[in-house]
Amino acid sequence: MSEFEASLSLIVLFSLFANTAIALYGVFSKPNLVKKLISMTILSDTANAFAIVIGYRAWPSPEESPVPPVLTNISGGYAAVQELVQKSVDPFPQALVLTAVVIGLAVTIFLASIILHYHRTHGTVEMVVSG
Amino acid sequence: MIEPVNVALGLAALSAVLSVIATYLAVSDRDLLRALIFSALQSTAYAIIFLVLMAPDIVLVYVPVAVGIYPAVVLALIKRVGRFEGGEGGE
Repeated sequence: MSEFEASLSLIVLFSLFANTAIALYGVFSKPNLVKKLISMTILSDTANAFAIVIGYRAWPSPEESPVPPVLTNISGGYAAVQELVQKSVDPFPQALVLTAVVIGLAVTIFLASIILHYHRTHGTVEMVVSG
Repeated sequence: MIEPVNVALGLAALSAVLSVIATYLAVSDRDLLRALIFSALQSTAYAIIFLVLMAPDIVLVYVPVAVGIYPAVVLALIKRVGRFEGGEGGE
């Protein structure tokens, strides 16, 4: 891996760290519940992105990219599976993230309905006013 | 000559920097509708990152959920509770 590739990868990684920090700041310090909800979805997306980054693999050569963990040559037998294992990225974090995205959507809808009921009861969504 | 690895990782790095800007604007903006749009922009940048990191099945699920359904849900919420942060609330 050349120095330029390493610096590009570090930009991606540190951007994710920065997103985590900004989203945590939004969750902790913003008084508006809707803003807290938006920040929390950004935080969960960033956690998912970290899992995907962990499952990635370095390029075998500068021209040849790793492949998605999908077996396209079904009739290739054992040799095709062996080639896929040597070139594909890790499918396990992708399976976890696929589940987490759908569960995150369900949690978002649940929290949105809770915030709506809070607004109907107290007439505001600002935690400073109602606290 | 530009090598393919630098093109792919450069696209991911560009999307990552874009996502940081969008996240900062989404958290700092007092208009919740604009914050929601910046959040959808951040989700688009993440979708490009997932595509570059060889997770096309994640992209197929993530784009309809994070750019489609989730802004629609929060938009319906913002319509009821009021658009501006720090205000008196909607009705």
